[in-house]
Amino acid sequence: MSDKKIKNIFVQGKIEPAFIADSIAKHSSKTGIGGHSIFMGQVRKDEIAGKLVAAIEYTTYEPLALEKMHEIREAVFAKYPLSCMHVYHSLGTINAGEICLFVFTSSAHRKPAIDACSEVVERLKAELPVWGKEIFEDSTHQWKENM
Amino acid sequence: MKIEIISFGKIAEFISDQKIDIAEIADTDSLKMHLETLFPELKGMKYKFALNNQLVQANSIINQNDILAIMPPFSGG
Repeated sequence: MSDKKIKNIFVQGKIEPAFIADSIAKHSSKTGIGGHSIFMGQVRKDEIAGKLVAAIEYTTYEPLALEKMHEIREAVFAKYPLSCMHVYHSLGTINAGEICLFVFTSSAHRKPAIDACSEVVERLKAELPVWGKEIFEDSTHQWKENM
Repeated sequence: MKIEIISFGKIAEFISDQKIDIAEIADTDSLKMHLETLFPELKGMKYKFALNNQLVQANSIINQNDILAIMPPFSGG
């Protein structure tokens, strides 16, 4: 346990498309990689009882979330032959249409990258203490709940 | 005995972060009942505890100055 390095996955505000492009570009020197898989979560303008979602405000219990993410990362690295994994989750107010989650896995061949990416997304949605408050266009709100 | 409670999401709308005296309550199962009396809005809600940054999976002993997080269902991603 003593050698574990807990990475911070949280960024304040939306995830910029340029940041995602840069992340991809940074891997061009890692020539053992043959496949990348990327998932991006985008805030959806849901219509609920006639009201439209304008934004989602994300909050977290950071120490627990980072501990849990570390556990997920270790488990997924142990299960799949991955070259790397990057996870970024937004905090604060993210408008509809903006990116709030970015998961990026790479491996020598496509299958582990695709499977690991999907597993990380499913696990973090179920296990990370993060809460999304859907703010409607009329400033009222409701709390999201992941299935 | 005093502990600190912190809450998140919709639970933070009616329970503010505070120190509370829980008298002789010694474990998380009893504390759950006590909190539902103090904060009736909790009744019927789904929520989990974390004690000192550890998710509570089974009834756990509480000590003086522990930090108890009250967490509604997660909705990240």
